[in-house]
Amino acid sequence: MRRSVQFLLFICTSMALFLALPLHAQYEQRHAQKEPEVLRNLQVTDLCLVTEARYTRHPALADRHAPFQEHPLALEHFPSGSLIMPNNFQGAAP
Amino acid sequence: MIELSGITKTFNSGQPNQFTAVNNVSFAIEPQRITVLKGPSGSGKTSLLAIIGCMARPTTGRIFLHGVAAALPFRAEGSDSVEITGLPERFLNEIRRSTFGFIFQQFNLVKGISVLENVMLPAYPTGEARTDFRARAVKLLEQFDIARHAGQRTELLSGGELQRVAIVRALINNPSIIIADEPTAHLDSRLSHDFMSIVDQLKGEGKTLLIASHDPVVCDSAVVDTLVDLRDGAVVQSRGPL
Amino acid sequence: MNRSIERHLNILDFTLASLLRRKGKNGSLLAVYLLVVFLLASLQFYVTALKREASAILDDAPDLVVQRLMAGRQDLVPAAFVGEISRIRGVTRVKPRWWGYYYDSVNGANYTVLVSDDPAVTPGRVAVGAGVARARNLAVGDLVPLVSYDKKPLMVEIASIFPHRSDLVAADMILMTAQDFHLLFNFPDGQATDLAVSVRNPKELPTVAAKIVALHPDARPILKSEMLRTYQSIFDWRGGMTLMVLASALLSFIIFAWDRATGLSAEERREIGILKSIGWETSDVLLLKLWEGTVISLTAYLLGTVLAYGHVFFLSAPLFAQALKGWSVIYPRFQLVPVVDIYQLAVLFFLTVVPYTTATVVPCWRAATTDPDAAMRI
Repeated sequence: MRRSVQFLLFICTSMALFLALPLHAQYEQRHAQKEPEVLRNLQVTDLCLVTEARYTRHPALADRHAPFQEHPLALEHFPSGSLIMPNNFQGAAP
Repeated sequence: MIELSGITKTFNSGQPNQFTAVNNVSFAIEPQRITVLKGPSGSGKTSLLAIIGCMARPTTGRIFLHGVAAALPFRAEGSDSVEITGLPERFLNEIRRSTFGFIFQQFNLVKGISVLENVMLPAYPTGEARTDFRARAVKLLEQFDIARHAGQRTELLSGGELQRVAIVRALINNPSIIIADEPTAHLDSRLSHDFMSIVDQLKGEGKTLLIASHDPVVCDSAVVDTLVDLRDGAVVQSRGPL
Repeated sequence: MNRSIERHLNILDFTLASLLRRKGKNGSLLAVYLLVVFLLASLQFYVTALKREASAILDDAPDLVVQRLMAGRQDLVPAAFVGEISRIRGVTRVKPRWWGYYYDSVNGANYTVLVSDDPAVTPGRVAVGAGVARARNLAVGDLVPLVSYDKKPLMVEIASIFPHRSDLVAADMILMTAQDFHLLFNFPDGQATDLAVSVRNPKELPTVAAKIVALHPDARPILKSEMLRTYQSIFDWRGGMTLMVLASALLSFIIFAWDRATGLSAEERREIGILKSIGWETSDVLLLKLWEGTVISLTAYLLGTVLAYGHVFFLSAPLFAQALKGWSVIYPRFQLVPVVDIYQLAVLFFLTVVPYTTATVVPCWRAATTDPDAAMRI
């Protein structure tokens, strides 16, 4: 088989895989299982991604002083602390 | 037949370094004959070849192609002649591709690819099916006794073998006119004589040959039909039918 | 039509032969390009999927969470707040919540302890997340001693372990009764960690929040929209991880596209001259270069994106895991639900394939338009 045809077949296969990605994603989303009832009733506000400190574990509820409470010199948890921006609360004191 | 009328080529026109490479050249190239342009370096041979081969345009003058292949769409009704000097670029390209085959002084072969690939290169953009021109290439390589080198890279070939690869490449699109610029520049006299035998063979196959050279082996060869002597861009002498 | 297709195939054949001629150089070019696309696409998939998970969680989150501050630090909320806030017009429910963090000195992990009224959780029996079970090598029925604040051990039995597909929500959780919670933390009576407030009309949330602050200046209400915004901004392109990966990927891409764009080598120029001399037109040469750019960029883009999808959604993004994990002992073993944002993939395509292909074609424009007779003098 000539090279150009081989290449085009390869690209078509890759393209087919590429186009299958959103279809697979849609399928998975439709079949994604819901959380157990007990967890939904807890009304949690944060993903359990980084459990190092309270402001990395619950960034949605953390205030600007939370990092300072960890250490007198406020040494940051790295790298997670640098990834989590302080929230911008409208209602009350930060 | 190719008819040249008052062909002049001037470079850097209007500038202090203006230079006339070809000066009012008129002659005819007979079909199925071997025509040699003889002259020292700087006599305008290469410029004239480029103009005849539709690679460059003359500053003034006209060139007619007679007995042109019927397939060209811009040919006048009922006529088999085309004046090529005034044609737009794409038609010139069309003629160049279908009518002329070139053998260059430096051979101009592409490094790193095989002999077979080099030979097939002119056919790639024509849109012809690969199987067809590949078969033709293999046949031509066999005809010129270099088929055993088909898969080798050109860097590994001798001067004479490279010469024959260049000839086969010039023939791949089955042109009616072959143009060769100083084809024996890098060959010894034995190989130069071999080249002239090949040229005679091509003439026997119905090709028209136009060769630019100052090599005595070429210019004084018995197979040459017309010899045009060029000096400083002008024809000073010619032997054979004009 | 056939001739046109044959022309493309023939020129593509030559393009591939040319690329294979310089295997090392073109191989490394493809590898770098693929890596750049892989990193950028992985990041895109990862971030989009996490944002979706966060949105899903926040569907069930309270409309408003009320915390209390003491000298700028979070403090406990008195039970009296419940009644006062319930009387604000528009508030439908105020639920005190008890939760906190437990530091396990055995393995250095932090657990999130919550009070739950689930029937499976009874005094002395707890439900734990899969991360906790992994960290302490626990099974259902095991007894675990927790050290309370008055130094007495609190023995609890593992009643159930949440499945690992809930890790993103509950990997580090321990659910217990209010009684056990108070014992563990010596938690004062009449206080709660915070209050979960539900409101009839979500549009009135800012008004309700303002009224709460007016009632209690030391209260800190957090709106659901603010919680959602946290997650929109965490993995925003302006944020740390995203910016770092993006910057280094784009920088390396710019460097090597620049290398392509700064012109042809003498050998490439000679080759184009030869092609012109043997009958190739300008359009044929440009098509050759277009195929050259397309072969590399399209291969890198398609493969890079597909591999990125596999990396994030089948392998749980091990490359990014390390960046996030930090000092955490507990790291959720989560399998993200795939999300594909077509718009972002299209942007990635236009940021990578188009510039590279252009950078391959444009520099050869001059050489491609050279008069063929110049090639007579090569």
